[in-house]
Amino acid sequence: MRERIILHNITRKFEDGGIQRTILDQLNLSVSEGELVAVMGPSGSGKSTFLSIAGALLEPTSGEVLLDGESIIGKDKQALSNMRLHKIGFIFQSANLLPYLKIEEQLLFVAKQGGMENAQATGRARGLLQKLGLSQRSQAYPDKLSGGERQRVAIARALMNDPAVLLADEPTASLDANRGVDVVRMIADEVKEQGKSAIMVTHDDRVLPLCDRVLYLEDGRLV
Amino acid sequence: MYLAIREIRFAKVRYSLIAAIMLLVAFLVLFVTGLAQGLAYDNAASIQNMNATHFIMEKDSNHRFTRSQIKEQELTQAEAIVGQNNVQPLGVRMTTVTAEAATLKLDVTLLAVKPEGWLMPSVIEGNTLTMKSEGQVLVDDKLKDSGIRIGTVIVDQTSGMKWTVSGFVTQQSFSHSPAVFLSERDWQQLQLLSSTRPGVSGMDTDKAYSAIAIHADKAQVEHLAAALPDAEIVTKSAAVSAIPGYKEEQGSLKMMIAFLFVISAFVLAVFFYVITIQKSSQFGILKAIGTRTTYLLRSVTLQVLFICAGSLIISVLLVLGVKAMLPSGMPFQLDASTLAISCGAFLVMSLAGSLFSVWKVARIDALDAIGRTAA
Repeated sequence: MRERIILHNITRKFEDGGIQRTILDQLNLSVSEGELVAVMGPSGSGKSTFLSIAGALLEPTSGEVLLDGESIIGKDKQALSNMRLHKIGFIFQSANLLPYLKIEEQLLFVAKQGGMENAQATGRARGLLQKLGLSQRSQAYPDKLSGGERQRVAIARALMNDPAVLLADEPTASLDANRGVDVVRMIADEVKEQGKSAIMVTHDDRVLPLCDRVLYLEDGRLV
Repeated sequence: MYLAIREIRFAKVRYSLIAAIMLLVAFLVLFVTGLAQGLAYDNAASIQNMNATHFIMEKDSNHRFTRSQIKEQELTQAEAIVGQNNVQPLGVRMTTVTAEAATLKLDVTLLAVKPEGWLMPSVIEGNTLTMKSEGQVLVDDKLKDSGIRIGTVIVDQTSGMKWTVSGFVTQQSFSHSPAVFLSERDWQQLQLLSSTRPGVSGMDTDKAYSAIAIHADKAQVEHLAAALPDAEIVTKSAAVSAIPGYKEEQGSLKMMIAFLFVISAFVLAVFFYVITIQKSSQFGILKAIGTRTTYLLRSVTLQVLFICAGSLIISVLLVLGVKAMLPSGMPFQLDASTLAISCGAFLVMSLAGSLFSVWKVARIDALDAIGRTAA
């Protein structure tokens, strides 16, 4: 089985008021195809930092991040931008859709950025929206959608460019329990079906049964 | 492009408001520019239309045509230096005339030129002056509104000289008064009659003009300056700005235009800066999902240009509409090149205004998207 994301010996230190604080300490994680890993931990344990490094937004002080076997270390901003575009799908706490794009356009925009052809992009966007039960809403603006619907659009957007890895940052934080479970089930299904690796940072115990592995971030390590 | 256009489509009201402000400012800029140009033309058209590079004037005349007096002897000297074809005598006098058979008084400027010389404007109606014509003048067609026709006799109030209007010229004025062109010979007559010096005789050998118009290059100008110690060589633009009221009028209008440009840049800058700050979390998300910073910068700049160009197009149409409706006597002039330069300057200023936002967008960190969006 292929591991689409590998974090190897990741250390990240911050300078904070003259004191070196080690947020992540020799952290190791590999997530294989079709696997959804939940990462839990108290606030301040470094979950955001962990996700930022996994998502090629932040460089680790030392260590190696491999996305589909490709390292993110030592790349310039533009190259990182490209990797995020093609290799990573982000799902944020609140859906963070662009208020001025219709639902279908949210997906088309990402595809356009990724250089996908129009016809193909439209087809793929329609397919994804249908699968996530959003076909009826494709011409609506995000402010007309419920929280759950918005988060589903965000999932569709994350999947649009067929990334290797899905990274979810507390995707259920702004949803009630049932909706939250629905959304995570959708993520889990997509991950299985399309053979992606997914990491989800969460506080929500109710969604844990849907995850293949649950890890806790403690003292800069995953246990 | 994709984002820029869709955002404007979505937030129509917001962008229309700013476009409306820009439209009003742009309209004002174009209108005042037209007015400034029109007034400049009205003020100095006759001099500006003259095909001369420099004027020779009397020293200490402060570059003013009406104060200056040049003797025939200097004309001869100038002819010797730059060539006879490049030198034309010019007489300028502001006076009041009455039309015979009418009680109406008119302020005009008498411009004396050599008939058949290169200072003589072309006639749009009637007959031009020739070397032989005597007591005949060409007048600006604006005087038609005052009832002057071809054949009307006008009388100079101070000298009592009478001239018959033989033709009309167009766009000829000096210091906001319409121009009356008379021949050099009539000018000398006028000088004789109005001379305050008593008992002058032998005036025929001592002709006087206000200035000499010349075509000359730099070297010739220096040569002339050395040869004519009592005279001053004045460039055409200096002579134009010395016309009474010209500098003051243009100065205040130009200042208004400059301020309007700066204001428009600031209005755009503030508007887009506030919007950008408001959207900074969106920009963070966009960067996080892999949108390039250059794309976002282009998007912001494009919006500014779009708003600006849209307002400009409408305001140009408005100004052209207003121009068509203005009465003909209104000094308003806006030719295509001025219009293009103003529009260009407007676009440049708006881009300068967008720099602030561009800088802000460039600095937004994609990291803001993670973990900090709950707030």
